[in-house]
Amino acid sequence: MDDFGQVRKEAARILSEKKVDVVLGFKSGTIPLKAQPAFITSAKDANTLILDGFCQNNLAVFLHDLPKDKRIGFICRGCESRAVRALAIEHQVKRENLYLIGVPCSGILDWKKIQDEVEGPITSAVDNGKEIILEIHGEKQTLKRNAFLVDSCRTCTGIEPVGTDVIIGEVHLLDLDDDELPPTWAEEFEKHSPEERYQLFTEETDRCIRCYACREACPMCYCAECFVDHIMPRWSESMVTRGGTQAWHLIRAFHQTGRCVECGACERACPMDIKMTYMTDKLNADMKKKYGFEVGADDEKQPPFATITLDDKNRFVS
Amino acid sequence: MRRNPRIILFQCQFCLASSADQDWVEQHLPGHIKLVKVPCSGRISPLFIMNAFQKGADGVMVSGCLPEKCHYITSNMGARRQLDEFRDFLIFLGLEPERFKFVWMNISERGVIQKEISVFSAELKAMKPNTKFNTLKGEIIEQYHG
Repeated sequence: MDDFGQVRKEAARILSEKKVDVVLGFKSGTIPLKAQPAFITSAKDANTLILDGFCQNNLAVFLHDLPKDKRIGFICRGCESRAVRALAIEHQVKRENLYLIGVPCSGILDWKKIQDEVEGPITSAVDNGKEIILEIHGEKQTLKRNAFLVDSCRTCTGIEPVGTDVIIGEVHLLDLDDDELPPTWAEEFEKHSPEERYQLFTEETDRCIRCYACREACPMCYCAECFVDHIMPRWSESMVTRGGTQAWHLIRAFHQTGRCVECGACERACPMDIKMTYMTDKLNADMKKKYGFEVGADDEKQPPFATITLDDKNRFVS
Repeated sequence: MRRNPRIILFQCQFCLASSADQDWVEQHLPGHIKLVKVPCSGRISPLFIMNAFQKGADGVMVSGCLPEKCHYITSNMGARRQLDEFRDFLIFLGLEPERFKFVWMNISERGVIQKEISVFSAELKAMKPNTKFNTLKGEIIEQYHG
């Protein structure tokens, strides 16, 4: 990516001009297929920044952990910029303390799928935005990119960063037309009958080990104490049983209604490969249908559950 | 002989204007229906509904005031946004739509709650006991549903 040189320059510039204290981005990890979050504090380190399909996290998750008076430069993709907006609406971050550098996104790749696809240890992996070039036993192997995109990136509707200070590079939609991709989990799920849907939901949640990685990876899950950790009084029966785990998944998703930025970080963080974005996507779609609310579309509008008006009174009375 | 369905009724304390209806709800409810009286339907968190199903309820009924008739002016609208969506969400995940019902009471009407409850009760009686989303152990479920 030649454009990314510009991003590094911009990051170095805002650091050397003391516009920000720290720049949030990604650097390459110690093992292939994985990038790791980077907190760059001096301009000379800006060259280590990267961005490719192996950058799994939503970096907006770190924003409310950093001290509130710190000025942060943030290299953000579409979903991350939406998360910043949503957090600013909920007064979790101060927008004036942030310097957002919008970058075009080429979709996030599922490293587990890639590892399953090839045999042998992968010693290096390069994603150039068009294809994935792997090195296995010293031999180069090229994979088509689209087949390994995660579901939430395939169905992404907001690839363009919103509300940024500057956008570097040309944002374009993902080209998914030329490949025959299998239907996503969400599309499959909706076709089933209620009994089968409950069965599928149960199968997914039964694998859960309750590590709460989904919660930790989520930029919108910032509560100091989660409902599931609160024991006296218990908000919900959420012990490690079938019903308790179902309640955790169900209510975690429900608390994201009209707030979820649809980045899919929860699903990528899950060590058990549990599907969960289908729930939040459904809730967000409902919010759009019922109240015309889209996450990250606006700088002012509160989520539907936080606003009470009499405008929609007729919808309820049947 | 089929057992009666276990029903939880969440009732807004202002939705029954007639004291006869309120007395009936408080004192003469059939034994299989449990009353949870709340100050306003806005008090009902979706987690309450979840808890009811988790503890083996076959059906949940929420009664509240009509829009613009709320004692707390707009509080019922906030509740309805959440509960309405929560109902849709449970149905999406496989709950039968009949098990979760709202009744919006007009304060000028009398005797509506009795009718609604008997209809709801009969509907649930025709269905199998609810086993979805509950956290009860196997033997307790048998005891309840047997």
